[in-house]
Amino acid sequence: MIPTAIGNYPKVAEATYGTKLIGTLTRWQRKELSDADLEATCRTITRAVIKEQEAAGLQVLTDGQIRWEDLVTPVARRLDGFEINGLSRYFDNNVYYRRPILHKTPRRRGPILVDEYRFAASCTKKPVKAVLPAPYSFARLCEDRHFKRERPFALRMAELLNEEAKALARAGAPIIQFDEPALGFGKPDVKLALEALSVATRGVKAQTAVVSYFGSLDGALTPLLRAKVDIVGVDVVSDPGALARLGRERITSALSLGCLDARNTKLEPVSALHAVFRRILKQVPADRLYVSPNCGLEFLPHPQARAKLRRLGEAVRSFSAKRRA
Amino acid sequence: MLLTTSVGSLPKPDYLMKARTQARRGEITAAQLRALEEQATREWIETQEALGVDILVDGEQYRGDMVAYFSEQLGGFKQSELVRSYGNRYYRKPIIMGKITRRKPITVSWWTYAQSLTSRPVKGMLTGPYTIMDWSFNEYYPSRRATTLAIAQVVRDEARDLERAGAQYIQIDEPAISTRPEEMDLAIDALGIVTKGLKAKTLTHICYGDFKAIGPKLRRLPVDQIDLEFANRNFELLQVFKRFGRFPKEIGLGIVDVHSHRIESVEEAANNLRKALTVFRPEQVYVDPDCGLKTRSVEEAKDKLRVVVEAARVVRDELRSGLSRNGAPGRGRAVSHA
Repeated sequence: MIPTAIGNYPKVAEATYGTKLIGTLTRWQRKELSDADLEATCRTITRAVIKEQEAAGLQVLTDGQIRWEDLVTPVARRLDGFEINGLSRYFDNNVYYRRPILHKTPRRRGPILVDEYRFAASCTKKPVKAVLPAPYSFARLCEDRHFKRERPFALRMAELLNEEAKALARAGAPIIQFDEPALGFGKPDVKLALEALSVATRGVKAQTAVVSYFGSLDGALTPLLRAKVDIVGVDVVSDPGALARLGRERITSALSLGCLDARNTKLEPVSALHAVFRRILKQVPADRLYVSPNCGLEFLPHPQARAKLRRLGEAVRSFSAKRRA
Repeated sequence: MLLTTSVGSLPKPDYLMKARTQARRGEITAAQLRALEEQATREWIETQEALGVDILVDGEQYRGDMVAYFSEQLGGFKQSELVRSYGNRYYRKPIIMGKITRRKPITVSWWTYAQSLTSRPVKGMLTGPYTIMDWSFNEYYPSRRATTLAIAQVVRDEARDLERAGAQYIQIDEPAISTRPEEMDLAIDALGIVTKGLKAKTLTHICYGDFKAIGPKLRRLPVDQIDLEFANRNFELLQVFKRFGRFPKEIGLGIVDVHSHRIESVEEAANNLRKALTVFRPEQVYVDPDCGLKTRSVEEAKDKLRVVVEAARVVRDELRSGLSRNGAPGRGRAVSHA
């Protein structure tokens, strides 16, 4: 079993790496600090976040997305065609994101996340995965005033994200993860989401992953498990029925199981995590099973976020030790 | 008809903002802070009276965040470290660690103080159980429902104490209610616990959300009045109400946008109100800004309130003169296609 994180991690930690980023960003916005100053602060925090993941025993890390305000802004800001707009609610969370407005056919000016990725990878000997929004969720989170139809927008985003994924793979990312939260809400166009995903992952010389979280997958679960990617992520916390539904599926890809609640502070008992592991190992061999919190940990205050990662590492260690014994 | 009010919070004057920071750092005493909070409350009551607002608020000069304020006073909550709300904005999201209890009345002394300053009614202002639940972490109760219903008990006790103290209007804000349409029934059950048996007029303020989804259930909310933001969405919400037919409750109409620095003209606000009166009857309408004004400057807040009062007066005068001319006060245009 491979313990991993999903994406983001608290940007401030009163007890460890501090709350410096808040003041740094404010002063940078007022142009009292340079881009290099901001970058230096982000790098310090990124390194600390990577060390915390290592210490918790994770085997595949992320950079904690310290520079990410939300899932879409960092990408939209560095593409042509978007205007970053007012606040909207981020799915069913009491958290807001800036909804990008698409005004013309989006274009990629150059690499978006490659420098950040290279820095994060240089901080550790462990593999660091690169995280991108999936094209369909990206399109759903934007206001489209150009195409005015989901399909051409999602497919165009898929091409652009494909270029970025290839660039990240060239930079050494062993896994490129696409986050697909929009599948859990309303009546998603699953067929379009998977078509766009297949475009986004085409020719990428790394392992590819799609990770869904929030809401309830319902009818989207079966097609998602057939996605043309190496790893499929399913959140079995937001929808407690998902674990039972997974039990009825044939799982052929590697599975990334979101099994700790990253949206509530309550810490899962080790025994409860072991029970989930035992259940899912009937369907997926241990070397093809990633286990993680159900989504990024930034919804939690830092002490609880770190406690979740430690609990995950501890649960995997004790479970593996028991099985070896 | 067309009584004017405001949604709840009003901006804190600079001297109070400074004092709050000093109090956090231990540079002034709680009593010194309290004296300044009372001064600011007094000033806002005087301002609202001078502007001609009909139903007043205390302006919440002593509150920070609308959920944190209650969680700090109730038993069972623990304060957390920072979590991010959006962009570079952080807040402390309370954690429910044990049984939620109300050790003593929370808002009653402030309400009593504010009401002692004026002969006009001052609203009692509470945060609703669903919103307190949705905006907290929970380590104690087994489900969102159990949490919400437990909070409803303590909010009900507070509402009863406000009524006993003499509050004629009790507002129970539920801004989170529009987040998850599938939980609307839970929010309705919880609000029902709070308002059951109250003789005071009850109202709830709900903001930004999926009104197409929750719209049909708004009429089932167990309150006398629902207060909504209309200006911020160019009065598109009216279309939603048109579709649902005659609305059986009173409606609080936000006619100025609280998220913009721009001060609307009286004519613009009056036009919005006239538009709304094609869907609602004047007797059921209360007029106010979209939401709490605490994010505006003191001057902007006063200007926005002035526009609300003036616009309501203009439209009220039109309706009255219509009455004297035709005998029937604009009834034809005020009733929807019910």
